[in-house]
Amino acid sequence: MSGTNRADPRPLSPHLQIWRPHATMFASITHRITGMGLYFGTFLIAAWLIALATGPEAYAQAEAVISGVPAQVILFVWTVAVLFHFAGGIRFLLWDGPHAGFKPKTASAVSVFLYVFAVLGSVAIWAAVLWL
Amino acid sequence: MVQLTLPKNSRVGKGKTWPKPQGATNLRQFRIYRYSPEEGGNPRWDLYWVDMDKAGTMILDVLLYIKNNVDPTLAFRRSCREGVCGSCSMNIAGSNTIACTKGFDELPGGVISISPLPHLPVVKDLIPDLTNFYAQHAYVQPFLKTVTPNPEKEWKQSEEDRNELNGLYECILCACCSTSCPSYWWNGDKYLGPAALLQAYRWLIDSRDEATGERLDDLEDPFKLYRCHTIMNCAQVCPKGLNPAKAIAKIKHMMVERVS
Repeated sequence: MSGTNRADPRPLSPHLQIWRPHATMFASITHRITGMGLYFGTFLIAAWLIALATGPEAYAQAEAVISGVPAQVILFVWTVAVLFHFAGGIRFLLWDGPHAGFKPKTASAVSVFLYVFAVLGSVAIWAAVLWL
Repeated sequence: MVQLTLPKNSRVGKGKTWPKPQGATNLRQFRIYRYSPEEGGNPRWDLYWVDMDKAGTMILDVLLYIKNNVDPTLAFRRSCREGVCGSCSMNIAGSNTIACTKGFDELPGGVISISPLPHLPVVKDLIPDLTNFYAQHAYVQPFLKTVTPNPEKEWKQSEEDRNELNGLYECILCACCSTSCPSYWWNGDKYLGPAALLQAYRWLIDSRDEATGERLDDLEDPFKLYRCHTIMNCAQVCPKGLNPAKAIAKIKHMMVERVS
């Protein structure tokens, strides 16, 4: 656009600086961020599998790292990201297939639900894993 | 390209605070984007006090009040003042809309910011350059295209087929949707944007149109259509209550269907 073109002396009107974000906008960017997180998370799964294939000593080391607090925090955030991206993906299917959920109010409500679902779902999964 | 901050020449500085009108009791403050190509320099935020008892009921009335009573140099587009022409589109309190149908009572409290439609070159004050936007509208060829010989009278259409155009033909090309879209902000030169795509769909599903295949061909590349990521800002802001996001999803559907 002209505003980013040096030959054009006219200013570019403010965009993110003035925008009042919508729930759908937040959910969209979160879907992308969680998607990228899951992409890089796959390398961690690969590392864990490699440790498993290498032998008992390597696997024991990997297990020691995983049971540490930082890794547990990463695993929890990972759970949230999986659930968010999963539910968001189903929403994309509903959008693109039956074209459902396009009303702005519905879309905003579903966006809020995605966050609630991802966080509460992760807490439930972790509670189940720790107690059972 | 994604550029989250404004270029140096576009950063908005502090402007002038205009005097309060005499004898007014019901005052509200508005922060308005000012840029003058004659003066040059960076744009600025000017602060205006408006006597709400005298200013009417809509944001366009506020702008007219300022122009008539406070500062005649303020520039903005307006014409029909009833939501038909789409001229007075701008960003009001952080959201794109047309000033003539936005009432005070719909606004949040505090100082109300008014700036031009986002991420466009500014001609003056609240007037952005929409050349690219109109070119994109022209690109989708928004008119009936046929190959069969013209009928003696008009091209006929059943009532059901006509109903398919509801929610599409009402677009007034105010550009609120396209300039609300982050995808359009970052790729406005390659992505057609919600307004042009809504119009593209309006002709794609018109039962009388015979150029559906060519129309879809014209949209088939990684950017023109597929930069829509269903962020939904377009549908959130449309002052006519239309849903470009849904129209775009339906075009994507047509793309898939013609392949299978």
